[in-house]
Amino acid sequence: MRLKKIMTDFFILMALTTNISFIFSPNPYELVITVIANLTATILKLGEGRILATEMTASSLVADLHLVPAAFIYFLGDIQEAVSLAIGALAANIISILLSIVEAIFSYLSEE
Amino acid sequence: MSKLSRSKKIKVIRKKLKLRKKKQKPLIEEYQSKLIESLKEIRVPLILLHFSMSIGTLGYMLLSGGNFIDSVYMTVITIGTIGFGEIVKGSETPIGRIFTTFLALMGIGVFTTSVTVIVRLFLVGDILNLLKYIRMLRDIEKLKEHAIVCGYNKTSAWLVDALRRRRIEFVVIDSREEALKYVQLHNIKHYIAEEPFRKSALMAAGINKAKYLIANMEDEAKNIAVIVTARLLEPDREKLFIYSTAPTDGIAQKLEELGANKVIVPDKLIANRIFSYMLHEASGFVSDLFDRIAYGEEAELEIVEVKVREGSTLASKKLKDVDLRRVYGVTVVGIRRADGSLELTVSGDTQVEEGDTLLILGSPSNIKKAMSFYREVIK
Repeated sequence: MRLKKIMTDFFILMALTTNISFIFSPNPYELVITVIANLTATILKLGEGRILATEMTASSLVADLHLVPAAFIYFLGDIQEAVSLAIGALAANIISILLSIVEAIFSYLSEE
Repeated sequence: MSKLSRSKKIKVIRKKLKLRKKKQKPLIEEYQSKLIESLKEIRVPLILLHFSMSIGTLGYMLLSGGNFIDSVYMTVITIGTIGFGEIVKGSETPIGRIFTTFLALMGIGVFTTSVTVIVRLFLVGDILNLLKYIRMLRDIEKLKEHAIVCGYNKTSAWLVDALRRRRIEFVVIDSREEALKYVQLHNIKHYIAEEPFRKSALMAAGINKAKYLIANMEDEAKNIAVIVTARLLEPDREKLFIYSTAPTDGIAQKLEELGANKVIVPDKLIANRIFSYMLHEASGFVSDLFDRIAYGEEAELEIVEVKVREGSTLASKKLKDVDLRRVYGVTVVGIRRADGSLELTVSGDTQVEEGDTLLILGSPSNIKKAMSFYREVIK
């Protein structure tokens, strides 16, 4: 279970950091890596039935729905719109991270 | 000191967490959790497919100098075995061809296996069944004044048939495999595949809005469990009518004391029925007629009982004042008095008293009108 948590958190953080990097300096590879990391985090979260996990899946899906169109829009030439969408995804990524921290605290308390 | 208080706080929070865990979830939520958990099975094929797509896209992007849309397209046509050609710039080079070869070798297998697994999970696996089941539970939530049949056996099958004829909605609860097989064979619209004495199963069957509950399990202990649980959830005997069966009069009496409105002893019922035929030996018409009316098999006639409660506006009135025959086309054919005596020679001058039960005969549609008037206006 711990390994899975590391993997999920890694991909959520990876999506967040590359997203921030893309927003400050738009680069096609960063955007694609953000999309890949975010989609991976979403897939890893699939099937988790606990309340916080479902919230995380939902926020990850929101980020996906911002980032995937952003990738296509970016390569169709509208960089400004792509960055706007990436900012929207950033909000969802931050919520994912916060939920992940709350989940970690809860699991710590129940194990203590 | 601070460490102690911290550990105390943690203990309090842990206790709260544990208490929350003990609270029983509604059945619909249990099945929704099962549905979400069943999605776990598509995780591995999806991850494999996603990684193949990602490697392909990034590889072609590097080869073409960052052309994302063409790279995605090239990856899809390669691993999807479409193979329209070398569309992406750089894919026709030796390095590009080596990359395409490895991508195809890895990706084609991953693509076909993943798609097969995902499609199979949706079509053959639990996902579709769970979705159907959750939809059915939602439909059950909308039911009102329905019947809950606990345990599906031959008697229940006959009962369900009668309920269908009278267009009374019903929910069957049974967890046994063989019973569920018959439930599907008999096209039962609403069923819950759980133990009927489970609180969550009865709640999911809408016990708070139901009018009848039939505890018809093979096992007496289970009947007791169903009756007790149902009565705990709905203590009002006038709101939820519980019927059950018992092998002896003694057990029947105990079940009635536990909360059942009426418990039938099948052997006794059969004996009485045979005896009624013996009493009317010329033809079984009389016995059959009363039975058919009482069991709702006589389409043109129906007989219902109306209890005159304390403080009812019907009390202390003469039948001619109520005038049900003229207004609704139904007739009061008898009155069971509060002391248990049966009065069959009723006339317009017969007075209704509190605690009486009126036996009203009429066509089903007229009876329905009269009953709704009774419920809404008279009470």
